[in-house]
Amino acid sequence: MDQSEIDALLAGGGKPPKKPKAAAKAPVAEPMPAASAASVQAEPHKDGSGHVISELDTVTSVTERESNKVMDQLDQISQLVARQQQLVTDMMRHEGAQSPGAQKAIHEVMSASKEIQDKVFEAMDLMQFQDITRQKLERIVHHLRQIHDYIVDLLGTGLKSDQERPSISHTIAQTGTTPDENKAHADAVIEAFKSQKKG
Amino acid sequence: MKILIVDDSSTMRRIIINTLSRIGYTDVVEGENGKSGLEKLGQGGVEMIITDWNMPEMDGLEFVKTVRGQNAAIPILMVTTNAAKEDIVEALQAGVNNYVVKPFTPETLKEKIESLLG
Repeated sequence: MDQSEIDALLAGGGKPPKKPKAAAKAPVAEPMPAASAASVQAEPHKDGSGHVISELDTVTSVTERESNKVMDQLDQISQLVARQQQLVTDMMRHEGAQSPGAQKAIHEVMSASKEIQDKVFEAMDLMQFQDITRQKLERIVHHLRQIHDYIVDLLGTGLKSDQERPSISHTIAQTGTTPDENKAHADAVIEAFKSQKKG
Repeated sequence: MKILIVDDSSTMRRIIINTLSRIGYTDVVEGENGKSGLEKLGQGGVEMIITDWNMPEMDGLEFVKTVRGQNAAIPILMVTTNAAKEDIVEALQAGVNNYVVKPFTPETLKEKIESLLG
């Protein structure tokens, strides 16, 4: 949805476009239903496509496990930094640390320590990429299977219309990778929904 | 305040828990899909729900609809990669109070939680 559509939604008080029921089942621009997500991972296809799916499932499982290891390391760094901050705070109370030079040095250590802590939190937040990549892969598998089924069907029953052809580009493109890149869009839809409900 | 986090990604649950702890919410329970989310909710004490949409067994939308059948008041925040307008509207119609699209910043999560609790 572009800005003009958001504006129209906000200004017009018109009903947000409802998903046509037929389209809801169509492969175009649809998030993968959970049931499909489960079946993508669970059902091996007789033709061997289940192998690819299983491989992808393994890849996502491994990246999730490894991501958790990175998170463990970041947690440990965070705890060490917190411990360091506590030690420096204790040090500040000592008589020998009351000179201006010592106080300045202590403040610099505390400031650097806070910066490390912030960077650790930032790195933790960046680990969202793992879940996002996993979901992208699941969608690709879902659409690959649809393309596979379509081709099998096509060879059996003749050519289908363009509309029935699976399209993955829209759904994949919708999944962002930059933090909050969809925030304004989502907020605009929420506001439009709420004002329409009030009206 | 006890917050229920429902997401099939353990990495994502940790990220949300970390963000929550930074803004002062440390009492959390976790569910890895809608079904286990309902179980945790049934154990009582949950005052707010943060849920993903795409999950196996029971997805976030079905989970929200089930929760709303039993509890109309509990604040629900959906955190998902689904960014299409139709999806956001569908979630709101199901009973979600607010919506965050992944990837998010901690500031956004904080803002949404505070607006729900405020």
